[in-house]
Amino acid sequence: MQLRYVFTELRTGLRRNLSMHLAVILTLFVSLSLAGIGILVQREATVARDSLGDELKILVNLCTDDDPSHSPNCASGEVTADQRQRIEKEIEDSDEVASSTFQSKEEGYQRAYDQAKRSNTQAAFEGPDPVVTVERWPAAYWVTLKTPEHADGIISALEGLDGVSVIKDQRKALGQIFGIMTVLKYGSWIGAGFLLFAALLQVTNTIRLAALARRREIAIMRLVGASTLYIALPFLLEALVAAIVGVALAAGVLAAFQHWGVEKALADHVEFLPWVDWGDYTQALFGLFPPGIVLLGPALTLIPTLLLTRKYVKV
Amino acid sequence: MIRFEKVTKRYPGPGRPALDQVTLDIDKGEFVYLVGTSGSGKSTALRLVLRELRPTTGRVHVAGKEINRMAGWKVPRLRREIGTVFQDFRLLPNKTVTENVAFAQQVIGKSRRDIAKVVPETLELVGLKDKGDRMPDELSGGEQQRVAIARAFVNRPMILIADEPTGNLDPQTSVGIMNLLGDINATGTTVVMATHDHGIVDQFTKRVIELDHGKVVRDEASGSYGFQH
Ligand SMILES: Nc1ncnc2c1ncn2[C@@H]1O[C@H](COP(=O)(O)OP(=O)(O)O)[C@@H](O)[C@H]1O
Ligand SMILES: [Mg+2]
Repeated sequence: MQLRYVFTELRTGLRRNLSMHLAVILTLFVSLSLAGIGILVQREATVARDSLGDELKILVNLCTDDDPSHSPNCASGEVTADQRQRIEKEIEDSDEVASSTFQSKEEGYQRAYDQAKRSNTQAAFEGPDPVVTVERWPAAYWVTLKTPEHADGIISALEGLDGVSVIKDQRKALGQIFGIMTVLKYGSWIGAGFLLFAALLQVTNTIRLAALARRREIAIMRLVGASTLYIALPFLLEALVAAIVGVALAAGVLAAFQHWGVEKALADHVEFLPWVDWGDYTQALFGLFPPGIVLLGPALTLIPTLLLTRKYVKV
Repeated sequence: MIRFEKVTKRYPGPGRPALDQVTLDIDKGEFVYLVGTSGSGKSTALRLVLRELRPTTGRVHVAGKEINRMAGWKVPRLRREIGTVFQDFRLLPNKTVTENVAFAQQVIGKSRRDIAKVVPETLELVGLKDKGDRMPDELSGGEQQRVAIARAFVNRPMILIADEPTGNLDPQTSVGIMNLLGDINATGTTVVMATHDHGIVDQFTKRVIELDHGKVVRDEASGSYGFQH
């Protein structure tokens, strides 16, 4: 196919509607940045849940040999099978508990090691004589509560049992963190939604104007037998260029957010939480669900363009 | 080449149909006038051939294909076999003569080499060899119509459709345009020309199909415009 005309038209089209295209690009850019931040916050919530559990979970660490808690419950060293049976029965009988899972020493160790690697702090796990080993890692129960407010009964019952080292209960702190994340996530998505709708309207207007400006050419192209795709191509390319610029700007803003906002600021000051990394950034760009901005941007400009040009350019 | 079988075309709204049970048959290489008063249905018949419109009932065949049942994506191929000329020329004002003619080739994907060869040939054929670099508004009406004919003919279509091509031109210029259409017809191209220009029809005697209120009232192999007008 001879595309010279298409590219000439693309250039004149972009120039002719420069202000419209700038408006589309800016709106798209801001909305995609917001959408991307929403995705990162969602990923952050997942990362935090994976490592700390959520506001419904408490972690019951069992005794190891030479337990660092020096609790009297651990006088007999590594937790025994009998002690575990008592603990399990207590958990099962509690009406505050929805469910529980046992996490072996190996599983717990592996999970901690993976997380340490994620934040590049795995030094304690490695070397000829590592500080952290499978032997020293406690087995544990993850106890899921029915409601985050009621756990006093089960906690006080377990605290006194032989074989229970420490109970990690971060419901309050986590509840607040997840609350903030939820607000941030939906806030940025709602903002992104409104702006994306605005972008959609602008794309529609741009096409209407472009079709009007080109109506003579379009009439002749139809008459001499140009294919519908060929006639629509300059419109589609214009939309694609706008989308690519919008996506590139948003990707830059998200990268800056990840670099300076997360890694240089938050991660240094808030160490008890694991933070999103560049893998999550990639998800925000290329993910399928929720759709990353690389998908979202072109979809938002190309789909309305296709629908509208079908209307204006119909043979 | 073109066959209408009991074609009726009704536009939305009340009133009689624009075409009413029209049956006609035009062979390859013929030159046919479609005559009749304004509103008799000439343009509607031509637009049916281009499949800009579909008949309400009846069938339209072009080049052996029943085009009213043709899939939409095939319509561009059909139109490449038909050149079209209008009363108002419809040139692109911001392109030169050469660019206007080349446009018809570019947008159907002809190669640059083909275009560079065929466009000057076609401009020579219509007598505008030296005016390729002019803009349309620097040309007379007759010259503009020649550019439009060059554009319609540059892809060497099987059929040339002309809707009142001399409607905006003085009689002397019209004669030049008619000679040109005659030359194109002589290359084997079927020409269908809608007109209500008596002088032309009587001077260049061809087959005449007369429409009146959407009905064919006359079809003469070698007719005049008709004394009743
Ligand atoms: N797009 C249209 N919508 C409604 N009526 C139309 C349209 N085009 C033509 N007509 C009507 O159809 C009839 C035939 O019109 P037309 O084919 O243009 O005749 P001609 O070309 O012979 O002057 C006229 O009555 C005209 O008013
Ligand atoms: Mg007419």
